[in-house]
Amino acid sequence: MSNNEAKFVLGAYRANGRDAEDATFGAALAQAKNDPALGAWFVRAQAHDAAVAAKLREIVPPAGLREAILAGARASRAPKIERRFPTRWFALAASVAVLLTATLALWPSRAAAGTAQLAAFAINDTAHAQHGGHGEAAGALQVMLSQPVNRLSAGLPVDFTALRATGCRTLNFAGHDVLEVCFQRNGAWFHCYIVNCADFPAMPTGTGADFDQQAQFGSASWSDGVHRFVVVSNAGLGAVKRLL
Amino acid sequence: MSNEVFTQLVDAHYAPLYRFALSLAKRPADAGDLVQQTFFIWATKGHSLRETSKAKSWLFTTLYREFLHGRRRDIRVTLLEDLPPGESEVVAEDVDRATQMDAATVVAALQTVDEVFRAPLTLFYLEDLSYTEIAATLGVPIGTVMSRLSRGKTQLRAALAQEATAAKSKVVPFTGAQGRKQS
Repeated sequence: MSNNEAKFVLGAYRANGRDAEDATFGAALAQAKNDPALGAWFVRAQAHDAAVAAKLREIVPPAGLREAILAGARASRAPKIERRFPTRWFALAASVAVLLTATLALWPSRAAAGTAQLAAFAINDTAHAQHGGHGEAAGALQVMLSQPVNRLSAGLPVDFTALRATGCRTLNFAGHDVLEVCFQRNGAWFHCYIVNCADFPAMPTGTGADFDQQAQFGSASWSDGVHRFVVVSNAGLGAVKRLL
Repeated sequence: MSNEVFTQLVDAHYAPLYRFALSLAKRPADAGDLVQQTFFIWATKGHSLRETSKAKSWLFTTLYREFLHGRRRDIRVTLLEDLPPGESEVVAEDVDRATQMDAATVVAALQTVDEVFRAPLTLFYLEDLSYTEIAATLGVPIGTVMSRLSRGKTQLRAALAQEATAAKSKVVPFTGAQGRKQS
């Protein structure tokens, strides 16, 4: 083995000595021990590697990253909404109040009623449903939704059939499938409900977003012409608006 | 996997993963997102990994794939691979320079290294993965890892020297009170 070949191999030898037992380095290490020039090079190379490694260890992750990771993991394990409420009675009362309010307030307009009823359905589901059953496709969408830089009104990559087929939580509203994906952004929980516009011809398409606030729940509803989306959060209407 | 085990996994690996992500993505916010995304994927499907001992390699591999997935691979990769071997000489001045520089400057220099070399180089300096584990993480042969380490180190030494020169040129000689008296 020439010295250049030994240098090539020893370049992969970690300065913390954790490769000492690796036989791959045996011959090159022995050569460095017996050849003064190669030995001196190896000492300098290791010192350089150790210095850079030490600098890299000084880099500290931003505050809050650990907590965000742990919170995100809890989210992916299908959070149960009951945890956020003191009692089931409170959840039941809130859902009844929400449904009554939404129904009474939005009854007059038939076209708007479809959208509003879907929003009320979504809020009610957020208030006391047990969420879960996300598949791989939903996971990708969940990650996209969770990214603070993504504005939801700019478009969402939804393949309704694929999401439903791969285990995304699917509900039924007025005889049609509704997909639901939970996600977290900036510490707040959101629930995105998706329907096919073709299933609900009475709902307007291509219009701006409608917003609603029922109790602590804020919701936004909009359409991209193919799907209608409703996002609900107990973080309030402001948090929902910031998503768009 | 229990919450406790997951927390232990996060505590053991999130810092080195962040450092690796920072070297790739360059911006702290993007690095944080990459780390979060990696653990999110673990939480959703990585827990099916039977051998928990392989979690570390799995996390680094996943983070790297997520990074690559986020943007198109640099077309210069092939061209860089064709370059002759790097200059392996290390002089005492290189060592002093790396020792005296602050961490942020060293990381900034590391981020200027071509990505194809930067990924194995950062994993090497994190000292968590052996060269064989780096090869598995990046999906390249062991010889390629050694080659990339050699070239990457050459680029890094050059970048550190450049950073040092730039830092020197920014230093304005202090003329002090004498200079003001003359004006």
